[in-house]
Amino acid sequence: MNVDNVKSQMRKGMLEYCILLLLHKGKAYSSNIIQKLYDAHLIVVEGTLYPLLNRLKNDGLLSYEWVESTQGPPRKYYKLTDNGEVFLKELEDAWDELNETVNQLKE
Amino acid sequence: MKKTLSVNLGGLIYQIDEDGFNLLDEYLNNIRLHFRKEQGVDEIMADMESRISDLFSEKLSPQKKVIVIADVKEVITRLGNPDQIAGEEEEENAKQSTSSTGSRNRQLYRDTDNKMIGGVAAGLAAWIDCDATWVRLIMVLFLIVPYTPILLVYIIAWIVIPPARTAAEKLNMHGEDVTIDNIGKTVTDGFNKVQQKANDYIDSGKPRSVIMKISDTIVAVVAFLLKALLVLVLIVCCPIIFVLSICLILLIVYAGLIAFGGSIEMFNLSWGPLQHFSPLLNISTSISAVFLVGIPLTAFAFVILRQFLHWHPMSNALKISLTIIWIISIIVFCISLSYIWAVYPLTL
Repeated sequence: MNVDNVKSQMRKGMLEYCILLLLHKGKAYSSNIIQKLYDAHLIVVEGTLYPLLNRLKNDGLLSYEWVESTQGPPRKYYKLTDNGEVFLKELEDAWDELNETVNQLKE
Repeated sequence: MKKTLSVNLGGLIYQIDEDGFNLLDEYLNNIRLHFRKEQGVDEIMADMESRISDLFSEKLSPQKKVIVIADVKEVITRLGNPDQIAGEEEEENAKQSTSSTGSRNRQLYRDTDNKMIGGVAAGLAAWIDCDATWVRLIMVLFLIVPYTPILLVYIIAWIVIPPARTAAEKLNMHGEDVTIDNIGKTVTDGFNKVQQKANDYIDSGKPRSVIMKISDTIVAVVAFLLKALLVLVLIVCCPIIFVLSICLILLIVYAGLIAFGGSIEMFNLSWGPLQHFSPLLNISTSISAVFLVGIPLTAFAFVILRQFLHWHPMSNALKISLTIIWIISIIVFCISLSYIWAVYPLTL
């Protein structure tokens, strides 16, 4: 049993939840999302995020729009869809439940 | 002094050193290979390219106008090699694919990384999984033994066998599965090799590398001349090959007709010049003749067309079964022919 392995499994499990949480606050540039997750040590390499964002988009939880940028070409801004909001709500409930369980076990 | 290339990354133009470009190009190719099963791979690649573009533009300033290999390495560390990406996103899948390494299906390529002349021996060694030195030794032995066309065989092999260029081809050559882990390894190898090349260039004063360079140059010149000669021979032979193929095709048609005649005769109808033999003999002769001529002809046409149309190489199972059919048809043809000869010793 490798501790790093278990830790990375834990992070992996909540990655989708964190992305949806970030986007719940409002639309965001993909580079900014990645930067935030990277700073929070939720991901080790950025390459992981691109397929994940793409999958969330294909599943209809996210959508994106092109926004003109002052420096260079237009940028892709992601935002939550209505489906995404519902999905997030369910994940939030699940997270609270998990949190509660862990706290109970700790006592 | 270094050559630079200008590249378009996510809609912006960057000047990038050649070695940096090679590394980035290889990296992006391998990432694409890694994501090939993902839905919307083009979009993922476009996203990654625009991210790389963002990271590059942070690196540039009025004092620094060119992207160097160190910047590329930094970006790659940040975005992650395919094995790192795989390690984070689909550990279960990676485990599954590494456990299935038992089913090895090697493909014959020229190993240009370990070549002495054309990489044929090294590729062959990788294919049969032994040391390249033994293959080379055997080849040299054949060179000494008279009346063995090893040189011709080598040159044909050089032309016909494709070189292993991409990471996936190199892995196939060694019979390793094209998994994310392995591709990652190959990319890292390529990464080290780019570095190695740069170092070799700097250390070119060393006698060993000078000798290597001279031999490399000689080999390159000889290889070029040989290839040019072969192209010339091919051009000269073109009409002959053309006529020959037409003859062979006619032969096949003729053999088919005889087979047809033979089968008519089975129903006691009289046809054709060969009705003195048993119909079975006619059929066996002609069908084996069709295979005898048709299989090499098809293989030859396939090899030639593959050079131009970039078809996939034939699978090993197909090659082996075709060879077996061919050998069987030689035997059947010879036996049938000997029967016919026994009856008509002079004609045919």
